[in-house]
Amino acid sequence: MGVKSITTLLLLGLAVFSFAPPGTAQANDVAVIVSPGNPTTNISLGELRKTFAGAKRVWPGGQPVKLVTRGPGCPERLVLLRLLAMSEGEYKQYWTSQVFRGDADAEPLVVPSVGMQKEALRLFPGAISLVAVGDVKPGMKVLKVDGLLPGAPGYSLH
Amino acid sequence: MPRGRVRADIRGAILALLLVSGSSRAQDAGPSSSNQASDQETFAQLVEQIKQLQQEDHDLQERIKLLEAKQPQASPGTESNPSSPLAPPQSPEETPAEQIPPAPATVAVPHDWHDVHGIQFRGFGEVDYKVLNQRQPELGTDGFVPGSAGNFYTGDFGLFLTSRLTNKTSVLSEMVFEERDAQKYDVDLRRMLLKYDYNDHLKMSFGRYQTNIGYYNWAFRSAAWLQTTADRPLIMEYASNGGLLPTQAIGVSVTGAIPSGKLGLNYVAEYGSSDTVRPDINGDGLFTDENNGNQTNVGLFARPDILRGLQIGASYYHDKISNIVVNTPAVVQLFPPPGTPGSSVRYGQTIVNGYVVYVAHGIEFLNEGFLIRDAPLHLDYSVFNTPAFYSQFSRQIGRLRPFFRYQYVNASSSNGIYDDVSLRFGPSFGARYDLNDYISFKAQLDHTARRGEPDLNGLQLQFAFTF
Repeated sequence: MGVKSITTLLLLGLAVFSFAPPGTAQANDVAVIVSPGNPTTNISLGELRKTFAGAKRVWPGGQPVKLVTRGPGCPERLVLLRLLAMSEGEYKQYWTSQVFRGDADAEPLVVPSVGMQKEALRLFPGAISLVAVGDVKPGMKVLKVDGLLPGAPGYSLH
Repeated sequence: MPRGRVRADIRGAILALLLVSGSSRAQDAGPSSSNQASDQETFAQLVEQIKQLQQEDHDLQERIKLLEAKQPQASPGTESNPSSPLAPPQSPEETPAEQIPPAPATVAVPHDWHDVHGIQFRGFGEVDYKVLNQRQPELGTDGFVPGSAGNFYTGDFGLFLTSRLTNKTSVLSEMVFEERDAQKYDVDLRRMLLKYDYNDHLKMSFGRYQTNIGYYNWAFRSAAWLQTTADRPLIMEYASNGGLLPTQAIGVSVTGAIPSGKLGLNYVAEYGSSDTVRPDINGDGLFTDENNGNQTNVGLFARPDILRGLQIGASYYHDKISNIVVNTPAVVQLFPPPGTPGSSVRYGQTIVNGYVVYVAHGIEFLNEGFLIRDAPLHLDYSVFNTPAFYSQFSRQIGRLRPFFRYQYVNASSSNGIYDDVSLRFGPSFGARYDLNDYISFKAQLDHTARRGEPDLNGLQLQFAFTF
């Protein structure tokens, strides 16, 4: 293969990546989901951080917050750890201390699948969770974060 | 399980019992008086078992009725697509949203939180080995044997229970087994709280609580596993282990968030009765019974959004105490050390605390300062001011967390309450290694300079664990 062929291939590849649809970036976004009956539609990043840190324990309507998370290694879990600026070990220790302080009754519920996330949203009206935007299903209400939906430019959870 | 099936199962069980008993009677056909007595006993047992089964059947029926009554009526259409115009990208193998059959609309809302959550149970423990370069014990509790330069002990072993009763109420209890002299264990109900969380701004607790003086008490409670260091700073040590602060009280504690935007302000207010009895830490075997009155503690702290992990706070505590020195095993009141005003002097005790801590990105930087002011009531005696502070820094590097701490306590030698403490200051350094998520190993070296005493050096090794 000559130098010209390689150059042509590289240029073609560059062109393909340059004109890739914006949906490619959106696919990495992680949506904040709640139960369909939850009246909240928008949440600030700060509020979201407080909620997943257990500092905000009640929804504006009075419903207790129920945290539902995915297990270690999942993309949603990595986004959660970035949101809280913690490592996996720090996260576990943080929640043990939250419970031991009496600031939380139990650690967040960990579910192994999207289906169980959906079930948890049905079971707990105050549930909140993170899900990869490609896994959003009917029965999951997606919240805006700082006024932005997943996929919008400037959306912060990915 | 359907109701008819439950009934059928129970009837089947009764029939099987009768058949079995009948066959056993047939096999024991030989007539004898002992057999007759045995038969009567068997019949009595069978009657009792039938009664129990009938009762269980009745209970099950009642439970089914209760569950059916609790089940909300199905209302079609509560399941909805995401309320937003968001059209999430569909993976090729994913069923399009329009084709997904709607899930059952009935939402099984848990009405009985206690049934759903049950009792959450946890435990904490530690196994320690401590060596000092003197034979007289410092903090002579925790199983540290007087006369020994080094020995093993178990520190606090804690059992922690929580249970949610309703949406807003829960119960929390913490029982700690503390090793004492001769490997005897005291049980201390460190916390026993009935909690009511009205909302994020008003959370109330009634019962025995740990006073929220400072950050350390709030953050680490009594679990060695949660702490980076092998022991607590002296100023934050439990009063029952010779610490200077009133660490426990029975009463009401209220806390919550103050609407303050990105400043993240929170408050805490406590009113309760303490009864602090602290052992002298110099190994003389004496105790000071402070005979506290009712204490008031108020505090504010901020967690600003601008720097995650930063917490700044202050608290103000007031109580009335005594400096009665007792030898508790014999319950004998002793004469106070020379220079103290008298054994029944009452003091107004005020404790002011301020702290700045940063815990994030693997960094832990704790800084707390205290001023304990003991002013005699109704008498023209000296006012004693006891300043204290500690500063602790650690950094997580993989599973290892090296740490450094410096602490300082300066109590007047004439202060009848803290005369055993006097002036103490010095560094501690070491490392914590997390073997896994539940067990950590810590090694710590201490150097403490003391007024009128030779410097004290110590090595502490600890396994701390949670389960």
